[in-house]
Amino acid sequence: MVKFILRRIMMMIPQLFVLSVLIFLLAKAMPGDALTGQLANNPKMDAQTLAEMREKLGLNDPLYVQYTRWIKNLLHGDLGLSYVHQQPVTDLLAGRMWNTILLSLCILVLTYAIAVPLGVISGRWQDSWADKLIVGYSYVSFATPLFIFALIMLFLFGFKLGWFPTGGSVDIQLEEGTFDYYISKLNHLLLPSLSGALISTVGIIQYLRSEIIDTKVKDFVRTARAKGVPEAKIYSRHILRNSFLPIAAFLGYEITGLIGGSVFLESIFSYPGIGQLFLQSIMQRDYSVVTALVMISGLATLIGTLLSDIILSVVDPRIRID
Amino acid sequence: MKKRYWKFFSVLAGLALVLSACTDSTSSDPKKPTEQTAPKEDIGNFPMTVKNDGEIVDGVLTYGLVSDTPFEGTLNYAFYTGHPDAEILQFFDEALFRTNGDYEITNDGAATYELSADKKTMTIKIKDNVKWHDGEPVKAEDLEYAYLVIGHKDYTGVRYGDALIQGIVGMEEYHSGKASTISGIKVVDEKTLTITWKQANPSVLTGIWAYPLPKHYLKDIPIDQLAQSDKIRKNPIGFGPFKVKKIVPGESVEMVRNDDYYGGKPNLKGVIVKVVSPKVVLQSLKKGEIDIAEFPTDQYVGAKGTKNIQFVGKIDLAYNYIGFKLGRWDAKKQENVMDNPKFQDKRLRQAMAYAIDNKSVGEKLYHGLRFPATTLIPPSFPGYHDKEAKGYSYDPEKAKKLLDEAGYKDKDGDGLREDPNGKKFTIHFLAMSGSDVAEPLAKFYMQCWKDVGLDVQLVDGRLAEFNSFYDMVEKDDPKVDVFAAAWGTGTDVDPYGLYGRNVMFNYSRWVNEKNDELLEKGHSEQAFDKEYRKKIYNEWQALMNEEVPVIPTLYRSALYAVNNRVKNFTVDPSSQLTWKDVGVTAEKPEVE
Repeated sequence: MVKFILRRIMMMIPQLFVLSVLIFLLAKAMPGDALTGQLANNPKMDAQTLAEMREKLGLNDPLYVQYTRWIKNLLHGDLGLSYVHQQPVTDLLAGRMWNTILLSLCILVLTYAIAVPLGVISGRWQDSWADKLIVGYSYVSFATPLFIFALIMLFLFGFKLGWFPTGGSVDIQLEEGTFDYYISKLNHLLLPSLSGALISTVGIIQYLRSEIIDTKVKDFVRTARAKGVPEAKIYSRHILRNSFLPIAAFLGYEITGLIGGSVFLESIFSYPGIGQLFLQSIMQRDYSVVTALVMISGLATLIGTLLSDIILSVVDPRIRID
Repeated sequence: MKKRYWKFFSVLAGLALVLSACTDSTSSDPKKPTEQTAPKEDIGNFPMTVKNDGEIVDGVLTYGLVSDTPFEGTLNYAFYTGHPDAEILQFFDEALFRTNGDYEITNDGAATYELSADKKTMTIKIKDNVKWHDGEPVKAEDLEYAYLVIGHKDYTGVRYGDALIQGIVGMEEYHSGKASTISGIKVVDEKTLTITWKQANPSVLTGIWAYPLPKHYLKDIPIDQLAQSDKIRKNPIGFGPFKVKKIVPGESVEMVRNDDYYGGKPNLKGVIVKVVSPKVVLQSLKKGEIDIAEFPTDQYVGAKGTKNIQFVGKIDLAYNYIGFKLGRWDAKKQENVMDNPKFQDKRLRQAMAYAIDNKSVGEKLYHGLRFPATTLIPPSFPGYHDKEAKGYSYDPEKAKKLLDEAGYKDKDGDGLREDPNGKKFTIHFLAMSGSDVAEPLAKFYMQCWKDVGLDVQLVDGRLAEFNSFYDMVEKDDPKVDVFAAAWGTGTDVDPYGLYGRNVMFNYSRWVNEKNDELLEKGHSEQAFDKEYRKKIYNEWQALMNEEVPVIPTLYRSALYAVNNRVKNFTVDPSSQLTWKDVGVTAEKPEVE
């Protein structure tokens, strides 16, 4: 097991290297740079100053020079300076990342809290009206685009009913560290995460449902029934345990998603997170931010898949890895 | 089973339609601009100042930053680049001078000025009671320090590009590191400073850099780290009517009244600025969650008549245009060279200007909130915009006549004109993606040109994204013949920075001796005489309309939505009302 993990980690190094070259080249291949068209609303600029600024930002150096400089800094933990935000990328990310992780974690918890019971109900009482309702809901939610659904939620619960705040991550007038401050933070998280969670349940519900339906007719279940094990116990001891396996494997990937953020939720709820930052940085050619984010999410994906494998081997004795 | 789905779906779809209708008024079939019957608005009918006769009470105002993205938080005039940052800055920091309706500095603000007889030297005296938020007086050395920062080789912002900053005596030497001070800037005494320029230029009155930096507060930070320092991002100070109390990065800022404001005690107890998505700005206004917001004009028609808010507006300091690529930028000589033969015949350019129906575009796509432009100086410069200028109004017959005269005739009978040599003539049009109406707008222009027999195709067959667009335009990509873009003019009327022979932003690359002469005269010492300057710029507007290196297409409106409880808010540049005077007449915002 340890050997396996070590090998996987060793393998990450070339993977990350290839990713770094790729993302660097792709970022540079985008037309324009951070200074292009910057001036449509600021005509007080001249060609020389612009050239000087490009020089200062190192944009005129040959690509391999720019790449080595970047990778050298990266190895020292320095992600560079965001041109657009005039701030070190690490500082910028630190602030946004925390918000994003909070939001994604909330979404994740709510998704599982909603999906797991629904999946179990619909698998256990297959073809009942409850099952049909749940399957119906999961299809509809699957087909609903987030940016419309989040708007509907916001209008309904934020503006019409006034149950939740309509934007931001916290009420600025509350003093940091007080009880009210944390309550306000939580309150600001609820509506966006509910919007995100309600329409991302389909995967888990469907997986769980079909796993249960599959397992329910397996030989060992029949044996248990024949032995006279009570139905409730059959489900809790035999069926559910087996059906949760793929869901557990899912979890590793979900962790990767934690840092991705959501462009739509963040923009609709004016929530400062990573998703918007990524989009904005691409649009404004803020290379250092783009490359940093891709590298981080690449790393997270690799770790996430590793975690998935580990979780799976822990919960499923059949696929122990040596 | 299936039926149940359907019902649920139709409810959802209906809801989505209703909601999208109230957030986004432009989504209603923009493909056929000529068939829409939208009510036409006129920016001239909007008041510039809110109406409210109530008594001011002590209250806190909430200002909405309408933006899809968090604000960047570079809260300093010398460093910010994003518009939301500027909207925050206006509450806690300001320039030393107030300005009048022509955006010229006056002596009503925190400082007074005097120009020397040769107009090259300005003496600036800061008033005694002007204090930074930490109690320190604003001194002459603070303004000097601002110039020392901007001119420094390590400076990370974009302000050094300003010709008025580079034009100061000794600035180049300082910038290149040859001198440790700027010889043209002298601190006379604690409150007095003189600035000397190499040339007299009337634009100093509208464009002088008058934002001091608190030297005592910032001087220990290396210049290349100023923009990222906590003293600018977390605890910025200024000398404006409000002090920053707290910042939630990217999201909101809380400010409180500055009792020591030199202009008197502000009416508001405090201001909260927070980011609001354009998708929900109207709802936020209706619910009173924000009091004031710069309102997206494309949502105005849907928002009209909302009971708890008033709209104020003015013509924006900007215009849209269609430019012809007439040459290229010679970076070595720093000069535009007009060597592209395709559009040298001005009759062709004029014909293309006559062929487009900007009135329909303004009315159908922008509900009248953008309207046909007549010259390259927008009416937001009331002192210089030539009201008599006709510009190019829609006249396809005249366009056809001009094309015939110029020799662009349809020789092979396919309905499209060939060039004077009888060769196929295709024009490549570069248009930007981004807004909801970008596509129909580009298609509409192309159709207009086709109607007079010109074959116009989109570059690469599609709209270009912002960066690709400017990349192609700046580098004079040979694929581009004609491009549609826009300029923000800033408050300085001088068009040299956009149309001069030696400026890179003269994207059409048009050069002309008469133009050189007029632009030079327009910012000469003589042009301090406003009548003279007006005459010169009228001549210039006429010249540009005759030669049409770029076709001015649309002027734009800027709207603000304001809650009924707000008093003294104005967008009128000639008004003396400032944020200090803005107040609220009720504890809580009105709700619809």
